[in-house]
Amino acid sequence: MLRKLLAVLMIIAVSTMLGAAVAAQDDMETYVLGVALPFTGSFGTFGQDFERGIDLAVAQMNAELEAAGSAIRFETASADTEQTPEGAARALQTIVQTTGAQVVVGPLTTSEVLGAKQFADENGVVIVAMASSGAAASIPGDNIFRVIYPPDTFSSKAFASIALERGHQNMVVLYVDDPFGNGMNEHFIKNYQARGGGEVASFAYAPQSTELSTEAAAVSAALAGFGEDAGFFCVCFPGAAEAFVQVAQIDPVLTSVKWLGNEAMTSAEMLEDPGHAQTLANADFVTVSQSADSTPLTPIFHADFVAMFDKEPGIFTNYAFDAANIAMLTMLAAGNDGAAVKSMLPFISNHYIGTAVQAFLDENGDQAIASYGIRQVAEDGSAFHVIGAYDGNTDTITYE
Amino acid sequence: MPPALLTTSLVNTIQIGSLYALMALGITLTFSVMKLPNFAHAEYVTAGAYAALIVSLSGVLNPLVIMIAAFAVGALSALISHLAVFKPLEGRDVSFYTLILSSFAIGLIIRYILFTMADYFNLFDLRIAIPLRIVLRDGNLILSNLFAWVVPTSVILVIILTLLLNRSPLGREMRALANNISLARVIGIRVERVKNYAWLLVGGLAGVAGALWGLQTAVHPLMGWGAIISVFAAAILGGLSSFSGTVLGAYVVAFSENTVMLFLNANYGLDLAFKPAIPFIIIIAVLLLRPQGFTNLIKRAEELQR
Repeated sequence: MLRKLLAVLMIIAVSTMLGAAVAAQDDMETYVLGVALPFTGSFGTFGQDFERGIDLAVAQMNAELEAAGSAIRFETASADTEQTPEGAARALQTIVQTTGAQVVVGPLTTSEVLGAKQFADENGVVIVAMASSGAAASIPGDNIFRVIYPPDTFSSKAFASIALERGHQNMVVLYVDDPFGNGMNEHFIKNYQARGGGEVASFAYAPQSTELSTEAAAVSAALAGFGEDAGFFCVCFPGAAEAFVQVAQIDPVLTSVKWLGNEAMTSAEMLEDPGHAQTLANADFVTVSQSADSTPLTPIFHADFVAMFDKEPGIFTNYAFDAANIAMLTMLAAGNDGAAVKSMLPFISNHYIGTAVQAFLDENGDQAIASYGIRQVAEDGSAFHVIGAYDGNTDTITYE
Repeated sequence: MPPALLTTSLVNTIQIGSLYALMALGITLTFSVMKLPNFAHAEYVTAGAYAALIVSLSGVLNPLVIMIAAFAVGALSALISHLAVFKPLEGRDVSFYTLILSSFAIGLIIRYILFTMADYFNLFDLRIAIPLRIVLRDGNLILSNLFAWVVPTSVILVIILTLLLNRSPLGREMRALANNISLARVIGIRVERVKNYAWLLVGGLAGVAGALWGLQTAVHPLMGWGAIISVFAAAILGGLSSFSGTVLGAYVVAFSENTVMLFLNANYGLDLAFKPAIPFIIIIAVLLLRPQGFTNLIKRAEELQR
């Protein structure tokens, strides 16, 4: 009899505990953070690295929420943008329709961001992009926030001023034929000529091109036509940048003029090749890119990333980490609702200091703090050194 | 068009045309012997380029060793594709379209194996570590050591391939397979053995082309795929059955992408970003106007020679 009673009591106790656990589970609320990045294609490495940065941010946030006794947890839902506008639209649609996510971190490039824009605007989904800078995506009132990297309207002014300071009477531009490249080319020409520059000959290359000898021949001929005081400005994606330098290094004109270029030209791989390093050194190569000043969080992020993934974070991975944190903090404040997040995100963003720079958004939802570093390749081609800074907000260059 | 630009574009035409020829010969061989337009061919090119890159990064800079490594890896990739996928599918008598789709699938598998490897070892956008230098400079004419390797290597391999197919017992067996595989089997040709050799040859040529393409540009898991449409255009222009036609097609495609493109840009302002459209235009034009490509032209030229 006693055994039967004990068994009944045991069943009641276990049932009560299970019930309590289930009730506790029911109280938990999970917010889905969408992640739309290029996991395949030539930017696949960036996408995978950025996803790791986002995973780290989510893991840290969940640990803090648990320690604080919060019932909210975040989980991610990822989809591949395939580095195309159509792929980005599909990725956003997949994430939203399969998980109901209201906020998506990514995509990477401006063409992908613009590809995803229509779906985001029509469905009230908020996009938090970390590295897109093309001027074409600077649109007021839409659902796109580019929280870390300022638009190229600023850096194009810096490139124009540097070209003129270097005495280039005319310029030749090679640019990738996508919204980023087109925007940079257009704004560079406008600023260069408004500041007293002469003619600009521009050549676009197709984004999927992996061999650029035709383009190098055209650029070389245009430079030869302009004469000795012409300069060259390269607006390329990684991969194409290396391919261009590869064919340019035996061109007598391209190796005798000075070069400017975007930061894709400054990859670690570029200087690993002695021929490429020497070509850039001979060209007195200079680039302008956002100053990623160290904040107290920078070394912590780095150490945490290495501890979690047993590898070094790639370039701009901390931007993805920061973008994910801004998105999650906004969701904690506004709830899992796209319209509320859209309304709240500028406030949260403007009060956020992350691992790289302070975020402060303009009327287009873009990073408004335009602080850039000017870097030049060393004479022996061994490294890039900071030689100055460009303040986009006051349009002034200061050299060290 | 300025003379310097014309000269440079013609040099590029010869250099890139030679590379396209090396890649396209494998496609023609696969199509004529195995009756398969193999889209995984691009990945044999990439596999060869990565083999060359890894050998060069290990400190071995001898071009011959690099080419042999690229040949071996390309050949092995092609043979494994055949043994693991194409052969079993042929045994089930699947349709031509199934084989094409399976070639896409094999290509994707190899590509993402290469992506995973490149990601793990950080092997993106690197260049085969042989320094580029000028070997001849005469006025506007500038030739690099890359030109000096690419063009003779392509020419020599094309000659070897032609001799192999026309003069050797293996070549005769391959041609017998191309004409009538059932009859070849009946007369005692060991069909599978010949096919294995053909796949090794196809992959090996693609591997060598990849190594040379990796000197021209940066090595990346998508590099072969980036060139494959131009290469298919060359093979289609050649009629998919004639090796000399394929080589001619490769130079025509390279000429269109370089000299014609620069001419149109200089004189009519046509954007260079339209360059990737050229092989598509060639493919469509050939299929609409002359589906046999250069085949009849080549045959007529051979008859005249006799």
